[in-house]
Amino acid sequence: MIFRTLISVTVLSCVGLVDCWGEEPVVAEPVSFNAQIRPIFTKHCVACHGGVKQASGLSFIYRDKALGNGDSGAPAIVPGKPEQSYLIERVSSTDESDRMPPAEHGPALSAREIGLLRKWIEQGAHWELHWSFAPPKQPALPPVQESRWCRDELDHFVLAKIESVGLSPAEEATRAQWLRRVSFGLTGLPPTPDELQAFLTDSSAPAFEKVVDRLLASPRFGERWASLWLDLARYADTKGFERDPGRDVWPYRDWLIRALNADMPYDQFTIRQLAGDLLPDASLDDRLATTFHRNTQTNTEGGTDDEEFRTVAVLDRANTTWQVWQGITFGCTQCHSHPYDPIEHEEYYQFVAFFNNTRDCDVDEEYPVVAVPKLAADRERATRLDRELHQVESQVHEGVMKIATQGDTWQPLALASAQSTGSAEMRIESVEGHSELAVEGTISVHSKYTIETLPIDSKLRVQALRIDALPTDEADAMKNSELGFVVSRIKVFLVAADGKESELLIREVYSDESHPILNPDDSLDDNPDGWGEYPKVYGSHLAVFLFDEAVEVPAGSRLRLEIKQDRVTVGDHPLVIQRARFSISAAPAWRTLLDSEAHLAARQELKDLREERKKLGGPLIPVMVERPTESRRRQFVFTRGNWRDKDYEVSPGIPQLFGVQTKAPTRLEMAQWIAARENPLTARVQVNRIWEQLFGRGIVETVEDLGTSGTLPSHPELLDFLSVRFMDEQQWSLKQLLRSIVLSATFRQSSQTTPEHLAKDPQNRFLARGPRQRLRAEMIRDQALVLSGNLSDKMYGPPVKPPQPEGIWRSVYSGEGWETSSAPERYRRAVYIYWKRTSPYPSLMAFDATSREVCTARRIATNTPLQALVTLNDLAFLELAKGYAARMARLEGTTAQKIATGYCWATGHPPREEIVDRLVKLHDTAIKNHPTTRDALPEEEHFALTIVANALFNLDEVLTQ
Amino acid sequence: MNLWESLAARRLEYRTRRHFLHESLTGLGGFWLVQQAAANSELPAIDPARPTAPRRSHFAPKAKNVIYLHMAGSPSQLELFDYKPELNRLDGQDCPQEFLEGKRFAFIRGVPQLMGSLFPFHQTGQAGNWISDRLPRFEKWMDEACFIHTMQTDQFNHGPAQLLLHTGNQNLGYGSMGSWVTYGLGSENQDLPGFMVLVSGGHTPDAGKSVWGSGFLPSVYQGVQCRSEGDPVLFLSNPAGIDRQLRREIISAIARIDQQTYAEFGDPETVTRIAQYELAFRMQVSASDVLDLSQETAATHALYGTEPGKESLANNCLLARRLVERGVRFVQLFDWGWDSHGAGENEALNRGFKQKCEQMDRPVSALLTDLSQRGLLAETLVVWGGEFGRTPMRENRGGNVMTFKGRDHHPSAFTIWLAGGGVRPGFHYGQTDPIGYSPITQPVHPRDLHATILKLLGLDAKKLIYPSQGLNQKLVGVKEYRVVEEILG
Repeated sequence: MIFRTLISVTVLSCVGLVDCWGEEPVVAEPVSFNAQIRPIFTKHCVACHGGVKQASGLSFIYRDKALGNGDSGAPAIVPGKPEQSYLIERVSSTDESDRMPPAEHGPALSAREIGLLRKWIEQGAHWELHWSFAPPKQPALPPVQESRWCRDELDHFVLAKIESVGLSPAEEATRAQWLRRVSFGLTGLPPTPDELQAFLTDSSAPAFEKVVDRLLASPRFGERWASLWLDLARYADTKGFERDPGRDVWPYRDWLIRALNADMPYDQFTIRQLAGDLLPDASLDDRLATTFHRNTQTNTEGGTDDEEFRTVAVLDRANTTWQVWQGITFGCTQCHSHPYDPIEHEEYYQFVAFFNNTRDCDVDEEYPVVAVPKLAADRERATRLDRELHQVESQVHEGVMKIATQGDTWQPLALASAQSTGSAEMRIESVEGHSELAVEGTISVHSKYTIETLPIDSKLRVQALRIDALPTDEADAMKNSELGFVVSRIKVFLVAADGKESELLIREVYSDESHPILNPDDSLDDNPDGWGEYPKVYGSHLAVFLFDEAVEVPAGSRLRLEIKQDRVTVGDHPLVIQRARFSISAAPAWRTLLDSEAHLAARQELKDLREERKKLGGPLIPVMVERPTESRRRQFVFTRGNWRDKDYEVSPGIPQLFGVQTKAPTRLEMAQWIAARENPLTARVQVNRIWEQLFGRGIVETVEDLGTSGTLPSHPELLDFLSVRFMDEQQWSLKQLLRSIVLSATFRQSSQTTPEHLAKDPQNRFLARGPRQRLRAEMIRDQALVLSGNLSDKMYGPPVKPPQPEGIWRSVYSGEGWETSSAPERYRRAVYIYWKRTSPYPSLMAFDATSREVCTARRIATNTPLQALVTLNDLAFLELAKGYAARMARLEGTTAQKIATGYCWATGHPPREEIVDRLVKLHDTAIKNHPTTRDALPEEEHFALTIVANALFNLDEVLTQ
Repeated sequence: MNLWESLAARRLEYRTRRHFLHESLTGLGGFWLVQQAAANSELPAIDPARPTAPRRSHFAPKAKNVIYLHMAGSPSQLELFDYKPELNRLDGQDCPQEFLEGKRFAFIRGVPQLMGSLFPFHQTGQAGNWISDRLPRFEKWMDEACFIHTMQTDQFNHGPAQLLLHTGNQNLGYGSMGSWVTYGLGSENQDLPGFMVLVSGGHTPDAGKSVWGSGFLPSVYQGVQCRSEGDPVLFLSNPAGIDRQLRREIISAIARIDQQTYAEFGDPETVTRIAQYELAFRMQVSASDVLDLSQETAATHALYGTEPGKESLANNCLLARRLVERGVRFVQLFDWGWDSHGAGENEALNRGFKQKCEQMDRPVSALLTDLSQRGLLAETLVVWGGEFGRTPMRENRGGNVMTFKGRDHHPSAFTIWLAGGGVRPGFHYGQTDPIGYSPITQPVHPRDLHATILKLLGLDAKKLIYPSQGLNQKLVGVKEYRVVEEILG
C-alpha cells in the first residue's frame, strides 16, 4: 500500500503538477492556467522565481510579481502579446547562455510547453488562484450513460469518470461484504452475527438505510472517529520529551467522543476546539474543547528553556491548525515565504500571533489547568461557578486597582541596604529619581532578600506597600522574555530609630493581573507560591500589599523587607526578582475599601465559590487561556525561522490570499473564519479526509496537502459537490455526510479486482471497484476483542493498560510503570489505551499508529513481517484467541461446523469447503501437538481451537475491510 | 434458506467469475518496479513485497554497514580526547565574560569557574596523538580511528540534541539516519530487519524511540529494538505451547487461505502479506539465532567482557558484530549514563564517569578488534560519540558550588570518532581553542556528519530524498551542508 502512495506522491510532486492523465497536444480551446500553465511554472521556474527565491524580483507564484516588471524593468509577461513577453524570449532562446532555465538548473521547456505559454499569453494571460484557494462551487451533474447505476448524486461524478476512461463499475458487493465495510467504516467494529442475520433477512426497501442509521446512532460511532481525530490532535496521555511523564487529558478525548456522537456541526466543532475559551459565556465543555491545542508537548527536561518550548508549542499550534483544517503545508513559511503557494514569511508570524498570547508556558504543572468533573450536571455547575468566580475576582480587583493607579497614591521608598542569601550581588541605584534594587552575579536558588529603607516620613499612616518588579532589560524582555519570579513569602518590619522591630501584618495581596494563576495571597504563607510571573516575564509587574492595620511611623523609623523566593524552574533556575522599586501609600481609601461591607462580602464569596468549585473535583486539564490584552505578548517575525533572531513586530492576521477584511482579528475571529461558509478549504479538507477513511485514499491523495505541492484531485467536481453539500444541505453534519457516501453506489461496489481494472487502474483512482483496505491499528485490536467475546462497551474515563510485554517503558528519570489493567478494563477499545509518546503501545505501532508527538494527517499503511509477529505471537492477541476458541467450543455440531461458524464471525461469510478442510487439518495437527506436559494450557480441544483462532486472526480477509 | 445457505449461494455466483484469476503469484513485484522507475529515477527502486531488498547506491560505497555507538548523555571530550593544557593551567579561575555573553546553558548560572581535565593525558601510537588515561584498551586503536574535534550542534538539551544528531532536526517527526540508510540501500539480509537498535545503561535515550523512528518515511524503515529481557525482538517468539512445527502449520494454513482470497479479490496487497508471513517465520529463527550470544566462544566473551543475560554495552557490542556479519545494514547502539553534571555520584566526572569509561573501553575496543580480525572493519563504519560536548567550566547548578565535579552541556565543540568503513586512519580533524570552548577551524555540524556517513555508504545526501509535506525531504535538511572530505580514506 505504502509504495503505491509513494509512487504517486512522487510523480506529482517531483515531476511537477502535470495533469494526471498524461500530456495532451495543445488544442485551440482556452488554456487553463491551473491545469496547464501553473504546472509548467512549478516544474521549471519557481525553484528560482518562486516564494523562497525571487531571483531578479520575479516570482511565478504571485500574480502581481509575474505580471510586473521585475528588476530588469522588462515585463516578463505582456498579456495578449507573447512576442513582447520576455518570458517567451528567454524560454525559447536557443542560446545556451541565455536560455531559461539555465542548463545547470534543469532541462529546457518542451515545444508543447512553450506553445502553451504562448497561447496563454495570447489569450490574455489570465491568472487563476490555485484550485483549492477558490471557494468550491456547486458543479452541474455530469451526463452519464448508465444513470440507473447511480443511487446518490455523488455517483454521477464517479460514473462519468469511470465511463470516460472506458471502464465500467464493479458489481454490487454482497450484502455481507458491504455490511462489514460499512460497520468498520462507521463504527470501527465488525458486524455481529445477529446484525448480519438481521440485515440479510431484511427484505424491506430501506434495509441499507436502516443499517446505516443504526450504526450512526451507535455510541461506537464517536469512538471510531475520535481515534482518527486524536491523530490530528496529537493527543497522548504523556507530556512527551525526555521523562515523558503522564498528563491528564482524557476528558478532552471524552469531549470528542461526545461531540462526535452528538453530531456537533463541524463548524461549531472547529470553533470550540480553536477558541472555545473565547466564546461569550463559554461553558466548561467549550474550554475543555480547547485542550485540542494543549496537546502540544511540554518539555520537562532539566535545563530546558521554557520560552523555547513554549515557542515550539505555539508554532506547532499554527502548523497543526493549517494541517488539520486547511490542508496546507503552512509550516514551510516558518523560515521563508512558501515555495509554491502565495503565502509570505511574514504572514506565517501574523497567524502565529493568534496563538502567542495564551498563558501556558511549558511549565511542568501545565498551567493553566481547569478541574473537569465527570458528570455533565457537575460540569454545568462548574461552568456557573467559574463564571461567578471570574466576575467577583474582576470586581474585587477593579476596586483595588482604582486606588492603586491614582497618581498621588504612592510615595517612593529610598533604599538603604540590600542583601541576599547565596552568591547574588545586590546593588542600589537611583533611576529617574527612584531608588532601585538590582540583582547581579551568580544568583542562587531559594535566594532570600533582606532590604532596608532609609527612615520614612513620620507623618504618614502607612496603609500599603507596593513592589514593582522590573525585568533587567525592559525593552528586550518584550521580545526575549526573561526568567520570572515568585515571592513565596514576604515579611515587613518597622524598625524604630532605637532598633526595636515590629512586624507589620499584611492582610491581602493583589497583583496587576485580575485572574492570576498563582494566588498572590500565598505570599503570606510558607508555601512556595505567591505573587509572581512564572516562569517568564515579558515586562514589569506590580503588586500591592495591604496592611492589616494602618501603621503609625515614629520618627526615624525604617522599613525592613524580607522576601523569600523558593520557586525554581526544572533546570534549577532561581525565580527571583531581578530589579525592583518599592513604594508606600498612606491613602485612606485603602482602609475604606478593606473595611467596606462590599469588599468583605466579595472576599467571603470568593472563598465560598472556590471551596464549592473544589468540591466538584475532577482531574486538572490543561486548557487555553488568553493573557489579558494589556500584557499581550508581542509577536515578531523570526529571521529564517529562528526564534532567537527576532525581526520586526507583526499583528495577528490571516494570509492576504484569502482576502479577509477583519482588522486586528482575535483567535475567536480566526476560528470563525476557518469555520465560515466562505473558507475555500475547510469543507474540502474534511470531506477529503472522510473519503480517505472510507475508500483508503482521498479524492486528493495527499490528504495533508491540498496546496500547490499536493496532488491534484482525481475528481475535482466530486470534491466540490460534496463540500458544498456538506456545508449547505447537510449543515456541516458529519453523520449526514457519511450517510450519503456509504449509501452511494460507489461505496456499494464489490472490491473484486479484474485484470482489466488492475491494468488500467492499479490504485483504483477511478473508483470502478469498491475499496479494500487493511484495518486501522485500533480496528485490528477491537475486532479481536469482539471475536473473543470480551469487548467491554464501557465508555470514557482514564486510559487503560491492556497487556504489553515486560520492560517496554524505560524512560529516563521516570518511576512510572505499566500496571496491566484487569478485566474488564483490559478489554476496552483501543481508543482508550494509554498513549505514551516515547513508548506507545507496541502492537498498535506495528500497524502504523503514530507516536502522536506531532499532528499526523495520514497514516500510511504498511505491510511488514513485524505485523505478522504481533497478531501471531502477542500474548494479548493470544488471550483473545483463547476467548474466541472458547466461543467456538461452546457451539453445537462437529469441529468442522464450529470452525466454519468461527470463520463466519470473523469474515461475515461462510467458508468454502476447502478452507474449512484446511482449518480442520490445522486443528487436528494442533491436537496431536498438544503439549500435554504443560499445565497452564487449556485442554486439548480448546487448545486446538485456539490455534485455529490464532490463524483466523491473521487471515488477509480478517485484517481487511 | 438459512443465513449461511443464502450466503453460500451468493458466493457461488462470484466463484463463476474466477476464470480470469490464476494461481501464480509471481510478477507483481516487477509490476511495481516498473511503476516506480517511471515515477522518478532518483527515488530508490522499492519492491513492495521486499521493501528492504538491497538497492544500488549512487556511487561505489566504501562502507557497507554502520555501527553507530551513541553515548547518550554525552561524554566529556575534555576528559578523553581533547587535550587542553591551557585549561589545566586556568583551573579554578572565573570564566571570562566573553565566553558567557549571549550563551545559554542548561544548568550553569552566573559566572562559573574553568576546570582543567580531571585526568592526565599522554601521547600514544605512531602519530603521537593525545589521549587521557581513561581508555587504556581503546588507546591501541588511536592510529586507526579518525577523530573530529570540532563537532558542533545547535541544541543544548539532550532530547532535541539527540533528535538533531540522529534525524537531522531537533523537532520530532523526522526520519532517523538508520531509517534513511535502510530506505536508500535496503539491507543485505532479508530474514532480519535492516535497521536494528540495541540499548544499554538502563534507559532509552532521552529523546525516546523517536531517535530510531522513521518519521515521515514508511514505518518499515524504523529501527527494530533488540531487547535484553523477554523476546529479543518484540513478539518474536511463539507463545508457550506453539512450537516451530505448529507455527509452520499455522502459517501454511494462513497462506493457503490467503491465496484463495487473492484468487477471489485480486488484491496485490494479499500477495505481499503472504510474503511477509513467510519472512516473519524465517525471522523468528534468524533473529533468535543472531541474538543468541551463547554461540560465541569463551575467548570472544572474554574479549568483550560480556555478561550473559544482562543488559550491557558489552553484550550489545558483540551483538552488533553478529548483526553486521549477517548483513544488517545499520546497527545503532545507545548507552545511557554519560551525563556528567556532577549533581550526584553517578553523574560525577570523578565517580560515575570513571566507571562508564571502564565499562565502555573494553567492549568498544573489542568490537574494533573483532571486526578487524574477521575482515569486517574495512566494510563496516563504526561511529562513536555523544549528542553534544561538555563545558570547559565546572557546573555550578543553582548558583552553588556542588559536592561532585561535573560539566554542563556544551553544544559549541565536541569530539567524535569514526573507524573502519573507508575513513582516514589516525587522522585528527579540526581544532578547538586553548580551553576547548569553540572550534578555531571549521566546525562540523550533524548534517555534515550525515552527508559524510552517507557518502561513505555510496549515497549522495542531496539525492537521497523522500517527498513529504510538499518538499523533497532529505536527512541533511534544507540548509547548506558539506561532506567532510578530509576524513575520507
